[in-house]
Amino acid sequence: MAEVKAVEKEVKIEEVLEPSLDKELRIKRKKVVDPGFDETIKRLTPEKIEKTINAVLNLRKTAARFLAPLETCIHCALCSDACQYYISHDKDPTYSPASKLRLTLWEMIRRKGKVSPEFIKQCARIAFTECNICHRCSMYCPFGLDITYQIGMVRRILFLLGVVPHNILDQDNSQSATLTQLWISQADWIDTIQWLEDETRLEYKNLRLPIEKEGAEVMWAPLGTEPKIATYHVVRTAIIMNVAGIDWTVPSRDGWDSVNMAMFIRDFETMQRVVLGLYENCLRLKVKRLVLTE
Amino acid sequence: MTGLSNWDWDTKEKLLADINEWKEKFVNIRELIPSDDGEKIAAVVLTEDKRFTTCINGEVWEETFDRVWSLKFNPDNQLLCFVYRNFEWNFVVEHEISEEAFDYLWNLTLTPDGKGIAFNIKVGEEYGAYINGKRWENLFVDARDLAVSPDGKKTASRVQTKRKGAVDIFAFWEKIWTIAVDGNLWDNTFLAVWGVLFSSDSAHVATAVRTEQAQYTIAVDGKAWEGKFGLVWDPIFKPGSSDVIAPVRTPKGWTMAMNGKPIWGNFYQVLHQKYSPDGQKIAAVVAPQFPKWTIAVDGTPWNIIFNEAALAPVFSPDSKKVAAVVKDNNRWTIAVDGSPWMEKFDNIWDPIFTPDSDKVVAKAERNGRYFLVIDGKVGKQEFEHLWTPVFSPDGGKLLIRCIDKGKYYRRVVAIDEI
Ligand code: SF4
Ligand code: SF4
Repeated sequence: MAEVKAVEKEVKIEEVLEPSLDKELRIKRKKVVDPGFDETIKRLTPEKIEKTINAVLNLRKTAARFLAPLETCIHCALCSDACQYYISHDKDPTYSPASKLRLTLWEMIRRKGKVSPEFIKQCARIAFTECNICHRCSMYCPFGLDITYQIGMVRRILFLLGVVPHNILDQDNSQSATLTQLWISQADWIDTIQWLEDETRLEYKNLRLPIEKEGAEVMWAPLGTEPKIATYHVVRTAIIMNVAGIDWTVPSRDGWDSVNMAMFIRDFETMQRVVLGLYENCLRLKVKRLVLTE
Repeated sequence: MTGLSNWDWDTKEKLLADINEWKEKFVNIRELIPSDDGEKIAAVVLTEDKRFTTCINGEVWEETFDRVWSLKFNPDNQLLCFVYRNFEWNFVVEHEISEEAFDYLWNLTLTPDGKGIAFNIKVGEEYGAYINGKRWENLFVDARDLAVSPDGKKTASRVQTKRKGAVDIFAFWEKIWTIAVDGNLWDNTFLAVWGVLFSSDSAHVATAVRTEQAQYTIAVDGKAWEGKFGLVWDPIFKPGSSDVIAPVRTPKGWTMAMNGKPIWGNFYQVLHQKYSPDGQKIAAVVAPQFPKWTIAVDGTPWNIIFNEAALAPVFSPDSKKVAAVVKDNNRWTIAVDGSPWMEKFDNIWDPIFTPDSDKVVAKAERNGRYFLVIDGKVGKQEFEHLWTPVFSPDGGKLLIRCIDKGKYYRRVVAIDEI
């Protein structure tokens, strides 16, 4: 743990993360206002935070997995040039990938999970608004340290504590309850596909948006936003499929929405349910390929 | 109800519809749906005036609609469907349009005896279900999926109990999802619920539930198991009992749990459990290696693994054998008790055992043509299209419903002639 001590001397994390000291210290940030941060931290207790962090890091059993990067990182900053946040903030070192870990996960480890709700809020700001999990930094590190995985684990801790940007969390909640991104009822999904066919079939001769066609070649899984907001996307997809002569279908059952918000916030359970839902429909409808909107 | 034994098992071939003629007659024909006994074939068709109706064995219904969907024959060979015109939906049983109208209808389901029908309904901005001429008295902010009890009298859906504001994460944490049985809510609510089903005596309902951010379990009649898990998949009831089993993820891996307690060893994944008809054995899809698949029976995996998929296992009627669709190196086939057929296919449908449990038949596809496969041997005849075959009660014959050169046939073939 020699490295940890060295790091400790270099920056006093309490001061860095104390918002009232923002002005004097190196970390300058605009205030992030989000009920998913500001309100949710009011529900946290130090005990809950400690228990959650220690359960995820499971330091007794999997310490090496989290400690090795912490002890191996030599702060060479090679990963910094990979990071768009670092570059687009005039190479401010507090945006460097290693710094993001230094200010979040490594500090949680150092304090054995004993951190304040305010600290958690700062972690949320960093993990959700200063990193988009693009994975570039992990490619640049000469030691192959997977920084992104570790920032992902910060997100996992934040998800378990319920401290997540509220827009994303609401979409994750929707996927958990409905397997759709935007609380789309089963009736509205099928109805939308049908009325889009009504609207389009007179203009494009016999255009079909086939629902539940067993044995079709392709099952198309749109993003929830398409039937909800961007219905013209659905029509365009239908036109492309028809013109290209592709035998396609959409399922009527839940498991048609290919958005996986759960993945971004490391709600691994809902993430699996979303993917399983898509596969279940493909296997049930006996299609050979799954086509997703991207 | 017209039982299997009353079907015509003697006439070798009936030509019931010339679909090529339909194609000339209609602007468009949707998916063809045959009756169980094969005597009828129907489709939603688009007529010259660009409206929809149904066509059964070539006879067109004179009523037309803006939309028609969810065609299904009941065992009395009556055609059921949902129809939409004048901005409202009705259900139809053999050309008789319901008086009651709805804002949307979906999940059309027959009761197990085939006599009753049930479906989900949307009325205004509320959702619920309808069975045997009665709609739920209580409707909800959302209702998803429909389970019909084995006695054909009850329905259950997973429902949202309270309206929540847009992007309101705190309302979600109040736990606003549960099961409604005949429109009556369970006492407990959860973060999320899914996979609803009835026990064989129709007295109990089970579902998978999310209880915390990352805590899941099974709830039966509203009561959650004491044991909590990292994740669970859909539960099933043991036949003739209120015991429930479900795949669960424990810190050691995925296993099968009964009434909250693990009963199998650990795997990378466990899915799609089934009870044998006698209720004595459990089979499920398992991943003994990552990410490879096979079937386990009572926790013991087959000796062979498949690198792409194993689908839900199927028990023989005598409960002694297990068969499943499997996929290895991008080719599908069927494995019976751990022995895959030599022939591989582009697609294969669920295995069907003969009533004496001796043989296995499946519908398969290769190069866009369909055929029957019996105990791994490919049938002589190819079809443009083929529906799932049905065994005669004595198991000596198969009912084949197929399209051959654009014509729909009902054929009865002796097993040894396939
Ligand atoms: S994963 Fe995050 S820290 Fe790493 S380069 Fe991408 S945005 Fe930057
Ligand atoms: S490139 Fe690797 S060793 Fe260098 S600062 Fe980044 S994480 Fe640390």
